[in-house]
Amino acid sequence: MSRFRRALMWAGLIAIILLIFLSIYGAFVGAERAKDFFNSLPLSVYWLALTVMLIAGVGSFRRLVRVPSLLLIHLGCILVLVGAMWGSDAGHELQRRVSGIDKFPRGNMVIYEGRSTNLVQLEDDMPIDSFGELPFSIRLKDFRLEYYEPAYLQIQSREEQRWKIPVKINTEFSLGADLGTVTIVKAFENFKITIDGDKRTAFDAPQPGYNPALEVQIKHPDGTVRTQYAFKRFPGHIHTEDKFLLRYQRTISDYVSELQVIKNKEVVAEKSIEVNHPLHFGGYHFYQHYYDARAGQYTLLMVVSDSGLNVVYAGFLMLCIGVFWQLWPRRLSFAGAKLKSG
Amino acid sequence: MEIKYTIQGLLIYAAMAAYVFAFVTSLLLYLLTFVTSLLRRTKAGHLLYFLGFITTVLALSKQLLYLFGFIIAVLAFGYRWYDVRHVPLQNLFEVFLCLGMIIYPVSLFCRRVLRVGGQCADMLIGAIMLFPAGFVFSAQPRQLPPALQCWVFAPHVAVYVLSYIFMAKAAFQAIYQLAGEPSYYDEKFLPPEEATCRMICVGFPLLTLGLVLGSYWGKLAWGDYWGWDPKELWSLASWLVYIGYFHFRYMFGKKHPRINSLWAITAMAVIVVTLLWVNLSRFFSGLHSYAT
Repeated sequence: MSRFRRALMWAGLIAIILLIFLSIYGAFVGAERAKDFFNSLPLSVYWLALTVMLIAGVGSFRRLVRVPSLLLIHLGCILVLVGAMWGSDAGHELQRRVSGIDKFPRGNMVIYEGRSTNLVQLEDDMPIDSFGELPFSIRLKDFRLEYYEPAYLQIQSREEQRWKIPVKINTEFSLGADLGTVTIVKAFENFKITIDGDKRTAFDAPQPGYNPALEVQIKHPDGTVRTQYAFKRFPGHIHTEDKFLLRYQRTISDYVSELQVIKNKEVVAEKSIEVNHPLHFGGYHFYQHYYDARAGQYTLLMVVSDSGLNVVYAGFLMLCIGVFWQLWPRRLSFAGAKLKSG
Repeated sequence: MEIKYTIQGLLIYAAMAAYVFAFVTSLLLYLLTFVTSLLRRTKAGHLLYFLGFITTVLALSKQLLYLFGFIIAVLAFGYRWYDVRHVPLQNLFEVFLCLGMIIYPVSLFCRRVLRVGGQCADMLIGAIMLFPAGFVFSAQPRQLPPALQCWVFAPHVAVYVLSYIFMAKAAFQAIYQLAGEPSYYDEKFLPPEEATCRMICVGFPLLTLGLVLGSYWGKLAWGDYWGWDPKELWSLASWLVYIGYFHFRYMFGKKHPRINSLWAITAMAVIVVTLLWVNLSRFFSGLHSYAT
């Protein structure tokens, strides 16, 4: 091995060890600070040096070119680094200056049901009221929450006995001879109650709102009947005279935003986005990020530029193919052949 | 620490017991082999014949116990799958159950195909893997949150789990190597330094695939293929330690076997942190916190 190549190998090894320690340091400081740290100027220099070192390695070690799997591994790493740099905030700034591509790296969109917007509130180092504009609008046709079936009513007596029953309207459930029975009478999506003297009337409010609840009738062994309410949003709700603590357990299975992309007043694309199923349009990905937890009236989308993403994915693919190709066939066939001959 | 008086818990304890008994039988077998080798020098004919018989019975019992433990572990895993109605790789309880299950086929594959021994250690690894599932982590079934409802979920965790087993075996071989080359080892198997390398060569592509799949999934679910989350950074660190191992071994070959072994052991230590400390400690709250 020539002196240059030996020096390059040592430099590579030191760079790897340094990155191990930096990663561990980053893990201790938390994701937000780690992101800032790994995007800081000294680290940008490090990423650039690592990329140059990898390119120099491919250029100077003949084996890396002659053995396709090794070439794939190292080119894969280079592509991942280049793609990541291209997609970073600095990469977007560079694109703007060099090629005039005016894209923002990421931001958030708040869209109310039935409305459309092209304004994106920008993230990161921008001032709070910085907005970017998309060359098209996004309209929210509908937002909905989906739940796992069945929902459950959890019952806890004052003696710490617990039951968990599936929510079935008008089905009686026995708590035992000493405690009586429980019947779920009605389920509400947006529970409200009016009190007129002694008379209380619970109803599902038509106005926007989110207050899922159950009306539960408890028949005690002495024949008395009492009505209690179990709330999804207020699990600890109990009156002093209540014999049971009730909890309405309903687990969200998905958040769905039905979106339309509007360009020149025409709908050019449509998709129901949910977690793991973003919309990709016009160089951006739109992710289901958050929602109006109080009334379900708006959705919050995260908008992320796709710059450099395909380069990173190409790098991932090459890296995986290269690693398997390099390490598996030779080892496994060699081991098998030895065993047979042995 | 809790004892699980459920069908799930009892299956785990039965599998653990089988692995422990198999391990103890292995130790007895080693002892017997040692005694037999001593007696051979004194030419104690009848006794040697009897010890040979006992050795055969013990060897057979060891294999049967190990196989029995595996079958019970498969039942425990299958029961869990039926119970939660999704691939049971959601939390640490399920991951450790899976680890305890796949140790047997991996061990068999390593012996038969890769010529890497250490079956006795594998039995111990099996029992160690099942211990947290049996006594430490909660088995409370949980429905999948939206982020986990993705086709990448099962392959991402499964390849990681599989790679961890290979890397754990690599670390055990590295410890053998550090402890000193045995004066006698079965010629069917590779010496510890080479066995370590072979285990890493098999496990590393899986580790890489796990990292890449996780990154791809992160992009689908959270909008970032890399979020600088503590779990991500620790898994990157473990991947890099193996990269360091490969580069070091390329530079020096087998000239510094102890340093090669130290790389493998360090990498395994980082994996343990990635798998356990990151999920359990408040130090590292992040996007992967649900996986406890």
